Amino acid sequence: MGKKFSGASQIMSRFRGWIQAGATLLTNLHLPNFLKGKLYQGAGKTVCVPGLNCYSCPAASGACPIGAFQAVVGSSKFSFSYYITGFLILLGVLLGRFICGFLCPFGWFQELLHKIPTKKFSTKKLKPLRYLKYAVLLVMVFLLPAFLVNDVGMGDPFFCKYLCPQGVMEGAIPLSLANSGIRSALGSLFTWKFGILLAVIVLSVIFYRPFCKWLCPLGAFYALFNRVSLFQIKVDKNKCVSCGKCAKACKMDVDVTKAPNHTECIRCGMCIRTCPTGAVRFRYGFGDGKDKTKAAKKAAEKQ
Amino acid sequence: MKMNRTNTAGRLLALLLLALMMLSLTACGTKNGDKADGMSSEPKNAEEAVAMHKDLMAQENAILSENTALWEKVFMAADKGMTMQEDGKNYGDFLLSTIESAKDQFTEDELKLLKEGAEKIRDIETKLTMIEEKYPEAAQESTDGAMSVPAGNDTTTPPDDGSMQKSDDGSMQKFPTFEGKDLDGNTVKSDELFSANAVTVVNFWFTTCNPCVGELAELDALNKELAEKGGSLIGVNTFTLDGDEAAISEAKDVLAKKGATYQNVYFNSDGEAGKFTTNIFAYPTTYVVDRNGNIVGEPIVGAITEKNQAETLQKLIDQALAADAG
Repeated sequence: MGKKFSGASQIMSRFRGWIQAGATLLTNLHLPNFLKGKLYQGAGKTVCVPGLNCYSCPAASGACPIGAFQAVVGSSKFSFSYYITGFLILLGVLLGRFICGFLCPFGWFQELLHKIPTKKFSTKKLKPLRYLKYAVLLVMVFLLPAFLVNDVGMGDPFFCKYLCPQGVMEGAIPLSLANSGIRSALGSLFTWKFGILLAVIVLSVIFYRPFCKWLCPLGAFYALFNRVSLFQIKVDKNKCVSCGKCAKACKMDVDVTKAPNHTECIRCGMCIRTCPTGAVRFRYGFGDGKDKTKAAKKAAEKQ
Repeated sequence: MKMNRTNTAGRLLALLLLALMMLSLTACGTKNGDKADGMSSEPKNAEEAVAMHKDLMAQENAILSENTALWEKVFMAADKGMTMQEDGKNYGDFLLSTIESAKDQFTEDELKLLKEGAEKIRDIETKLTMIEEKYPEAAQESTDGAMSVPAGNDTTTPPDDGSMQKSDDGSMQKFPTFEGKDLDGNTVKSDELFSANAVTVVNFWFTTCNPCVGELAELDALNKELAEKGGSLIGVNTFTLDGDEAAISEAKDVLAKKGATYQNVYFNSDGEAGKFTTNIFAYPTTYVVDRNGNIVGEPIVGAITEKNQAETLQKLIDQALAADAG
């Protein structure tokens, strides 16, 4: 009934930074395109990458799921993005927000910024802002592109166009640097989104992953699958001494022992590394792993 | 990308030769000049220059049209990466190096024929350059729509930056040639289209591109405006390339809804213009082309509904019109 990580959980979370770097590189393989100011337009672009990574990044190896969803849902040809939704549900079930913690380039970018040594602030009191990302998903990614259409049935990709800082950083900035035609096309929209990017950068230094917590529609989508995902975090009640260190260590403000598979958990594994008794671990597969607890209980009863 | 081994080797050889040529050219430049000064066939006035220029062009075209099939093969083998116009490189030298790089495609006799032709062309080009230097107006008058350089070289990629067009001697990048159809099925040839108009604005778009569709009405107005000045505007809908029936009817539908009546054309995606199109990744992109088929200035990326973009486009159009009139 599925694999279990124990020592593996520790190793995974310890090497998370390297996995993030690797995933970012794989998501952006075509590095020479940065100099050419061109986009890779091959077959890879017909598939979505798991994380938030702009299609218009010169190096991008695939399409952004959020961008692709909006492009299809807002197109006059289709009414709904079935293929991309299916793909996202599959990823949600297979990995959930593990993608945020391990595979997303923009998540990694925010984490790197957070490493800059300054005074850090807790986001515990800002918890209501978490719901904003679901609104972004519903309104900017789905409703507006699908229903606010022009006379020929076309909608704008609202999230990409008006909000996404990753698009500015990976797409607009490198392309406009290398391509004079695009440079001359920059307008007020660019200024606005550049402002958003700057704000996210500044906030990332003082808060941990502000964009993931409050705005990211992709994170919101995966969050909905965290509870049912095959990738889980388990707390062994027998080993847990209720010290509360895990909840304190959690930078996503999750109370690990109460809700190990909370929508906000990005599977970073900080709790696993701080747990003094090794009670917290990753678990992959079907079932909830209660058998082990039961077995332990039975053993206790026998004594 | 599909590329066989001979092709790669050929490209490498061509590059090497090109490098050698570049080195020797600096020396050649002065030598040619000396030779030209001593030549008896120097035209005495502008009129004679025009006549000579025309005659030389005719000679060159005659050589090229004698063995069309063979030359076609040479042009196909031409390294798309090299710019023969750069540094005023002689077209004959360009042909020679191309022939050299693709020599395994030809028989002994064919090679001899081609090389002889290319050498003649090199001499003709030297004379042409001389006339063009002394009587720039003459060259302009003589060329008038026809091109001294047959299509087929260095036209497959849009420029990375403006460097190519900015070269001071006025050498420009050619818009890739195409033979396609408009959405009603009428044949459209690029050389006929361009030479019939003082300026041609070419707008690349696709049916599901919102900003592209958003500017169709304005483009239609621009087309009407251009018509009065002897210019024209055409659209290229990338979905319709290769004559996709469904895409054509959808494009027509959108054009009709937006009240755009100007000509929209499509061509094969594997041709010069087709490859050129696949290298455009930002839509809409608008090119301004002069009567000689040269791209004027840099392409306008993004919709011309933006005020400054419209101004840039207008400047390029005026520039092309002024050049055509003067």
